[in-house]
Amino acid sequence: MSVPATARKLKKEDLSCVFDQLRASHRVIGPKIEGGVIVLADIDVHDIPAGFEDRQAAGSYSLIRSDRPEIFSFSAGPDSFKRFLHPPVSEMFTFRRSRTSMTITPSGREEKPLAFIGIRACDLSAMKLYDRIFLEGPVKDNTYASLRSNAFIIAVNCCRPGDNCFCSSMGTGPEVKDGYDIVLTELRDSFLVESGTVRGQDLLARLALEEATGIDVDEKAERTGACIRAMKKSIRAEELPGLIYRNPDHPHWADIAERDLECGNCTQVCPTCFCNATYDLVRLSQVSFKPPGLSGVRVRKWDSCFSRNFGRVHGGNFRPSRRARYRQWMSHKLAYAIEQFGLPGCVGCGRCITWCPAGIDITVEAEALKDAR
Amino acid sequence: MHDRSTPFEATIKWTRKETRDTFTCAIRISNRDIQRGYRFVPGQFNMLYVPGIGEAPISMSSSPLDRDIMHTVRIAGDVTTALSLLGAGEVIGIRGPFGRGWPIEEAEDLDLLIVAGGLGIAPLRSVARHFMKTHSPKKKTAHPRRMLLYGAKTPKDIVFRDEFPRFRDIFDVFLSVDRADPEEYWRGETGLVTQLFDRLSLDPVRTIVFMCGPEIMMQTSVRELILREVPEEKIFVSMERNMNCGMGICGHCFFGPKFVCKDGPVFRFSEISGLMGIKEL
Ligand SMILES: Cc1cc2nc3c(=O)[nH]c(=O)nc-3n(C[C@H](O)[C@H](O)[C@H](O)COP(=O)(O)OP(=O)(O)OC[C@H]3O[C@@H](n4cnc5c(N)ncnc54)[C@H](O)[C@@H]3O)c2cc1C
Ligand code: SF4
Repeated sequence: MSVPATARKLKKEDLSCVFDQLRASHRVIGPKIEGGVIVLADIDVHDIPAGFEDRQAAGSYSLIRSDRPEIFSFSAGPDSFKRFLHPPVSEMFTFRRSRTSMTITPSGREEKPLAFIGIRACDLSAMKLYDRIFLEGPVKDNTYASLRSNAFIIAVNCCRPGDNCFCSSMGTGPEVKDGYDIVLTELRDSFLVESGTVRGQDLLARLALEEATGIDVDEKAERTGACIRAMKKSIRAEELPGLIYRNPDHPHWADIAERDLECGNCTQVCPTCFCNATYDLVRLSQVSFKPPGLSGVRVRKWDSCFSRNFGRVHGGNFRPSRRARYRQWMSHKLAYAIEQFGLPGCVGCGRCITWCPAGIDITVEAEALKDAR
Repeated sequence: MHDRSTPFEATIKWTRKETRDTFTCAIRISNRDIQRGYRFVPGQFNMLYVPGIGEAPISMSSSPLDRDIMHTVRIAGDVTTALSLLGAGEVIGIRGPFGRGWPIEEAEDLDLLIVAGGLGIAPLRSVARHFMKTHSPKKKTAHPRRMLLYGAKTPKDIVFRDEFPRFRDIFDVFLSVDRADPEEYWRGETGLVTQLFDRLSLDPVRTIVFMCGPEIMMQTSVRELILREVPEEKIFVSMERNMNCGMGICGHCFFGPKFVCKDGPVFRFSEISGLMGIKEL
């Protein structure tokens, strides 16, 4: 196979050099074990749970220390980049107003841009969707834009799928195609490193790495191919939009509603769920009489279409039934997002399956949708 | 273009009570540069912000040619009540304009039928004022014809009641109330707005319809129009959903795959006819 001009090899023990390069300019976020699960946090190279493997099933997750030789031996935990670029609670601006004047001050951001290390293909597809939503719509969102700007992406190609992964059938993974500064593929004794941007290229140049060979590139193809073959789950990505549009009254929606707890876990762990709501928090401490006025902060927090309030308007509710709320969620994932943004709203990461306490599996539920004959 | 994701200050110039639960307020954007860059088309909306309370999506009820931006508001809950308590000289925040408005240009040379129910007249008053400002009064022409159908709960609930004489300069006006108040003299129609369609003679080939009101009223009205062979492509409806951000990032206004805030609120009926009958979409 031909070798891309930018392909280099990084010794496994030199992964720390990448951290060294980024630390001065970036806040480095990556995988780490906390409370028995892999989360994303500020990390150093030794925090990466090398050699750990996750066992995932519908409604269950456990971590075991295995004897795997890889550093990136694990797959997606409940966390994703979403917690950093679209935080569960974020401050949008502070306000101060009297009767005749008001001041609005956009909230300050972290001084350092973020660097994500170890991000997988599925989540990069979700990030691309986020960019379309928050940056490329008719109006650019300042809050997301300030967190996203200059974020440095070090992606990792998956060589082994998680138990609930189905990215291959969604067309979103396991191989990283775009949206990265650097992508790593873990080979037997080194990483194959490729850059996707000038920034990535510059970083690699500073590391002065050895050039990759055709054998390395072949090994990459072999490993991502093995990942696809090992993937246990799949979904009918092409047929589902049509099936969903044609079957809003399919009896299976009511069947799911009987099992659904409406806890909203799936919307929290989903890397594409972006719905949010805004609130004002008034600070009592700064209420003043002269001039009469008040101050506070406007915050945005994650919302969920499973919440009863989600479709509420004065004097009514557009989605009063659980059946309609589940249908809304799944239709958005598998059908609407493609029409809205030209990208799938489900990236096949399987998080919603693992973290559903009722064990509802989107691939199984989607399989049950059929046209009436 | 000014930043539309952070509210900017506007000063209330005046407020006026319209009915027992609605009022109109005129606002002017404080910052000169933003004011100059601010352009809207009838049918679009602003997010009105009362710091400390919250935001609400409210349509512009003035014409873009009016000096001040007007909003006509029904007192419904937290934000609208807080707005109703403010007076001239006080300030609010606004973000906007948002959404897709009425296709005014498409309507210039066609027969325009406006169908409004209740406060649905607010974004259509913007259209009416546009035509009143761009066409000399007292010159009602046979073609293009302009008609206004309006239904309210009772005569007391007719919004812009004192403006109807001027609407009549440009429009053939048909009014109806669900029920007449016994204590008030009412010589108009009583019953649902949809029965007014029988009083119209529509030329389906050259008619365009702008409609805003309760969803159930719009559904029955569209049915009446389709019976009269007005094509779905020429019927425009303004939809309402819960709205939080107004700019396509919060997910509250989904109507199937449509974002009411940015794909609408004004839709060509043919774009959404497949979604219209689906329960709890
Ligand atoms: C495109 C559009 C144009 C509108 N134009 C007008 C207008 O010109 N005049 C007018 O009086 N009203 C209009 N409305 C309805 C108006 O937005 C609601 O009455 C208002 O949001 C209620 O807010 P509240 O805080 O007073 O009520 P609450 O019931 O206290 O509302 C709490 C929250 O619920 C949501 N909400 C409640 N009702 C609605 C609703 N009907 N639509 C959207 N979100 C809602 C909002 O997020 C609000 O912040 C319009 C709505 C939309 C979607
Ligand atoms: S869904 Fe695909 S890309 Fe994501 S973790 Fe699983 S195998 Fe990797």
